[in-house]
Amino acid sequence: MPESSPPLLELKKITVGYRQPVVSDLSLAFGRGLFVSLLGANGSGKTTLLRTISKHIKPLSGQAFINGQALDDIKPANLAKILSVVLTDRSSAPMLRSLEFVALGRHPHSDFLGRLSDRDLTVVESALAAVQGANLADRFVDELSDGERQKIVLARALAQEPTLLLLDEPTAHLDLRHRLEILAILRRLCRSRNLSVLAAVHDVESAAKVSDLTLTIKDGKLTAFGQPETILTPESVRELYSCPQANFDSALGGLEMASDGQAGRAFVLAGQDTGALMCRLLAKRGYALVTGFLHASDLDAHVATALGARVLTVDAKPAPGSATPSEKPLDKIDPDFNFLFDQAIKELTHCDLLAVAPLSPATPESLIQIRARLWERAKSLGLPILELGSNGDLSPIIEALDRLTPAHSKVAA
Amino acid sequence: MEAVLNAKLFTRRLTSRRILVFYLLFALTLTLMVINLCVGSISFPLQQIFETLLNPSGSGDLNFIVWKIRLPRTLATVMGGAFLAVSGLLLQVYFRNPIVGPFILGISSGATLLVSLVMLTSLGLRLTYVTPFLTTIAGCLGAYGVMILVVAIAAKVRQGATLLIVGLMMGYLCGAVTSILTALAEKEKIKGFVLWGMGSFSGFKWVEIGILAVLGGGLVMAIFLLTKPLNAFLLGEEYAASMGVNIRRFRLFILIAASALAGLVTSMAGPVAFIGLAVPHMARLSFGTSDNRILAPGACLLGAVVTSLCDLIARMWLNPVELPISAITAFFGAPVVIGLLIKKGARM
Repeated sequence: MPESSPPLLELKKITVGYRQPVVSDLSLAFGRGLFVSLLGANGSGKTTLLRTISKHIKPLSGQAFINGQALDDIKPANLAKILSVVLTDRSSAPMLRSLEFVALGRHPHSDFLGRLSDRDLTVVESALAAVQGANLADRFVDELSDGERQKIVLARALAQEPTLLLLDEPTAHLDLRHRLEILAILRRLCRSRNLSVLAAVHDVESAAKVSDLTLTIKDGKLTAFGQPETILTPESVRELYSCPQANFDSALGGLEMASDGQAGRAFVLAGQDTGALMCRLLAKRGYALVTGFLHASDLDAHVATALGARVLTVDAKPAPGSATPSEKPLDKIDPDFNFLFDQAIKELTHCDLLAVAPLSPATPESLIQIRARLWERAKSLGLPILELGSNGDLSPIIEALDRLTPAHSKVAA
Repeated sequence: MEAVLNAKLFTRRLTSRRILVFYLLFALTLTLMVINLCVGSISFPLQQIFETLLNPSGSGDLNFIVWKIRLPRTLATVMGGAFLAVSGLLLQVYFRNPIVGPFILGISSGATLLVSLVMLTSLGLRLTYVTPFLTTIAGCLGAYGVMILVVAIAAKVRQGATLLIVGLMMGYLCGAVTSILTALAEKEKIKGFVLWGMGSFSGFKWVEIGILAVLGGGLVMAIFLLTKPLNAFLLGEEYAASMGVNIRRFRLFILIAASALAGLVTSMAGPVAFIGLAVPHMARLSFGTSDNRILAPGACLLGAVVTSLCDLIARMWLNPVELPISAITAFFGAPVVIGLLIKKGARM
């Protein structure tokens, strides 16, 4: 695409809303072939913005342009050939086979009587193929599962042959498999058909993983617009949803809920990549966490940090949350890990519990020593010790936790 | 694993099945029309009926019965049934609601109100110069009065559900006035009025047939031509708008066309219940689709079939006593709809 061509969608200081402004002074532009996700809390105006772009409602001020043409000047019948929508409305049409449902999307292209030409049918065929829904063609739409139905709804939108596809929460109510499937299909369409997707997405994890660009709306303003890798940080996500417990890990692209620490404090001796699971389990039970001894770049360390844990790292510069930790092992500087041990003992005295994961095979001798000394100290402090066997079976740990926090087990029973 | 889809073959297969259903319904309509001409308080053999039909200027009892009584009635039944069914279909699609029928917006109540004015009060006595068409004109004024009100309100109200409630309220309002008039009326006038309120295709005059054919036929043709945007409405107004349909204009068209058709039939035949509500469902089930390009003509034919059959039963069951058509449509139609729904596990 030449540099000079206008952007596919451009918003210039647009204010959207019904009578009162919901989102004000929003400006942005993007081209073709991109997956753009729209993030914001419930009621932040995601749907209102989409409805304005789809011309369902008029902007209160400002202007929208599609391919450089003002939205006001595009006739609805022509707009329908450029832009199609997938709404949250569970559009149920009774007694309509999937193929007929998808063919409804040919409306802007078919003749006055709505007769389908051979080309129309070819497009319908390819739309069904694009969503891997050819096997659903004969089924009635209202007999489909939520996931299958969403594919057909998407295929209908594709049958309009849009260059801009607007979707309002396309994966709401879908199970994991269908959520991933729909997102993968959308991503593929961006590449293969060179169309752009603008989707209001409710879960930040999916948005981070699939989108090329992300825009976030908060308090009636566009708060960020750019690559999700740069704009989605733990702070910005917490801020976006006004949710202080949420810890977004940009490396993993996942959300963890920090523990409130009501059940007490637990020390987790991590190892063999089981630390992450143990930490999450304890955080769910309400324990504040301390964990060691890890490289800051370990998976365990990422999860533990996101869970709000204090992580004792074996890196030269213990810098929790730092993006580029030094991977140089501490034992090259401080062979006995004395410094680490002192820290750990101090933490342990404030803990109510010690959880121990099996050792990973490559653990240096000095670290094994420290673990043993820590274990002894916990015993002498009278702390309950939960030890995970080398088979990684978490159920004994869960049973032990049930005994420690009986209130929880009652709920479970 | 992925099934290979040939959309052309697929649609051709569906279409050929549907064409078969069309032929079947068309044949049924013709058969029922002929039966309706043949049988009655005096029945005539088929050949005699055909001879009379080919010789309109003849004389005699048979000629009178066929040309003045049975043929107008048969035509009125066919057209009335077709129009009511299409009217119901339009409103069911527009409101996306399966229990909507042509009278949901108060059309029949408006007609009934004005008819009660002329039939139950002494008002009718002063209007003797239009006597033959008195109830028809009153019904027409009532139906279209309500229609104009509803459409005017529809221009202000966006929500379909709100409009439904407005229509229901109109119905109650008119019903209330009618009840008061009934309470005050003389006893002997009431029976006639109650019978009118149950509908009948008897006593149609050729003028009325002409009006019904020209106006109703015109409206139905317009509806056939606009089944494409009607299909877009299957997904709701929002999707229809996103596919380039002018929602405002089209919803007014739907409301006016549906009410005008229902009003036309009601003013001449009285409120014939059930056809407009049930036939669209029957059509959906027999054609196996919600595609209005098929359903609109399909509902027409099926409406004609069902109404003709019901009129035949109404005339013949307790012959020579004629039963009100609404009683028959509901008595025989309701179990049929329930049965179809259960058997096909169909969803509205």
